[in-house]
Amino acid sequence: MSGLAVETKALTRRFGQRAVVREVSMSVPERSVYGFLGRNGAGKTTTLKVLLGLLKPSAGSARLFGVDIAKDRLKAARKVGALMEAHGFYANLSGRENLDLTRTLLGAARSELDRVLGVVEMRENASRRVSDYSLGMRQRLGIARAMIGAPPLLVLDEPTNGLDPDGIADMRLFLRALPERTGATVLVSSHLLGEIEQTATHVGILHEGRLVVEGSLAQLKAGLAPELALDVDDFDRAGALAQARGFAVQRTPEALIARLQPRDDARAAAAALNRTLVEAGVAVFSIAHKARSLEGIYRDAAKVGA
Amino acid sequence: MFAALSVEFRKLNRSLALLLAVVAPTLIAVFTFCNMLRGDAPQEYDMWIMSGSAIWAFFMLPMSVTALTALVANMEHGPKSWDHLRALPLPRWRIYAAKTVCVIAVVALMSVLTLLMTWAAVEIAAAVKPAVTPSGAPDMAAHAWTLVKMLAAAFLLIAVQLWMALRFQSFVPGLALGIGGTFFAVVATSARAGVFMPWQMPVNMLTDEAWRAETALAIGGAGGFVALVLMVAHLSWREVR
Repeated sequence: MSGLAVETKALTRRFGQRAVVREVSMSVPERSVYGFLGRNGAGKTTTLKVLLGLLKPSAGSARLFGVDIAKDRLKAARKVGALMEAHGFYANLSGRENLDLTRTLLGAARSELDRVLGVVEMRENASRRVSDYSLGMRQRLGIARAMIGAPPLLVLDEPTNGLDPDGIADMRLFLRALPERTGATVLVSSHLLGEIEQTATHVGILHEGRLVVEGSLAQLKAGLAPELALDVDDFDRAGALAQARGFAVQRTPEALIARLQPRDDARAAAAALNRTLVEAGVAVFSIAHKARSLEGIYRDAAKVGA
Repeated sequence: MFAALSVEFRKLNRSLALLLAVVAPTLIAVFTFCNMLRGDAPQEYDMWIMSGSAIWAFFMLPMSVTALTALVANMEHGPKSWDHLRALPLPRWRIYAAKTVCVIAVVALMSVLTLLMTWAAVEIAAAVKPAVTPSGAPDMAAHAWTLVKMLAAAFLLIAVQLWMALRFQSFVPGLALGIGGTFFAVVATSARAGVFMPWQMPVNMLTDEAWRAETALAIGGAGGFVALVLMVAHLSWREVR
């Protein structure tokens, strides 16, 4: 990774008095799949719109491959292809005709149509009218359109919205392979943590307009404390005993979760906790080492941000 | 600019806007045909062509511009394609300017079709009922010139309606304005102030009063051109949320 595809510094966007994006400083490395996470209304789409030059920043700056969007929108726009939440296709035209409109506006070669349709495996359906397309086909056509002219950055706003499980799985494989197939950087926004976890190399979590976590997914996961999920006969006593041994505990309907320190040895900690519980007369049915997920990172980030 | 223009025209393919462009002049032709068959005696050929142009200028042009601008704008509002278009690496004014030229071209096409279809309707009616065969030959060049002036005088009307249609995502404001404007233009036909209403400017090209025709052409044409430039500038500059 040689540089940054996207870099924002203290990016802020207000609508009237309401700040929707607050001092966001994000860095998207080139050739990464960057998962941009946050609940609905967190400010993801607004941030993406600023990156696309659709909205002006109220404060701060945003650069695509070093080009300041506010100062040279046209130059920055040449480096990005986007799929926004609304596809914006003309239902009276075929898929190929729709793509050809964008190709004409971009001044790209005609051969681009076959190339991008091939990447999303839509060549066979390209002559059908868009009004006959399923949602999944429209999403893929939208990605094909974003790839016309081979921009080095693809911005995809909730590309799995409305897709069925098979469509989501297809999209996941597709996005994961994109940097290798096309050399592009992918910035994908979503509120589906599981999908991003399986797709992204880097994540940024937006909470109420603030970027509360950012980094490579591997590093973020490595920094997480492991957890033990316990099934016992007396959750209250077990919880108290675990707390007395220095574990942070959390009760869920299915299990008692005991969180270790980030550098703790999970196996040794499980054995020690098991011994404590058994010696205290608590029946232990199971202890499972629970790998921390992106959801854990998200929950922690949301708590910190709140 | 050529690319943006080409794109705008291609968007019309199989669209309701294109259907409207054919249907509106056809209705005038059908009305002329039926009207001729009602009569028993021949009338002057020019009278029939002129009556087609009058219907066009009086009702059909303002109503068609209202509907056309709503349909053209809805081609972008409906699928929410503004984000895609405005994120592309081309100056935004080109998108709006191309759309404006496209709308004017469709209105010009409708004007041509009105003339040709009215002529065809008269010919067919005369063939169906020889007793109403019109007298004399039509001065098609003069009628065409009148329609060109009507189109020029309609620039302000087109600017107002297109601005409204592109500015607001809902078609209701543009439609309400168009219907209201046409209504007041019709009821204020003889009023001196009527000449200043954009919806009445085209029909003033048929009047014998020179000042009315000149005023309507100047305000509608030159004022319309200025309004169209302002519209393109405003829409390019504003944010679409």
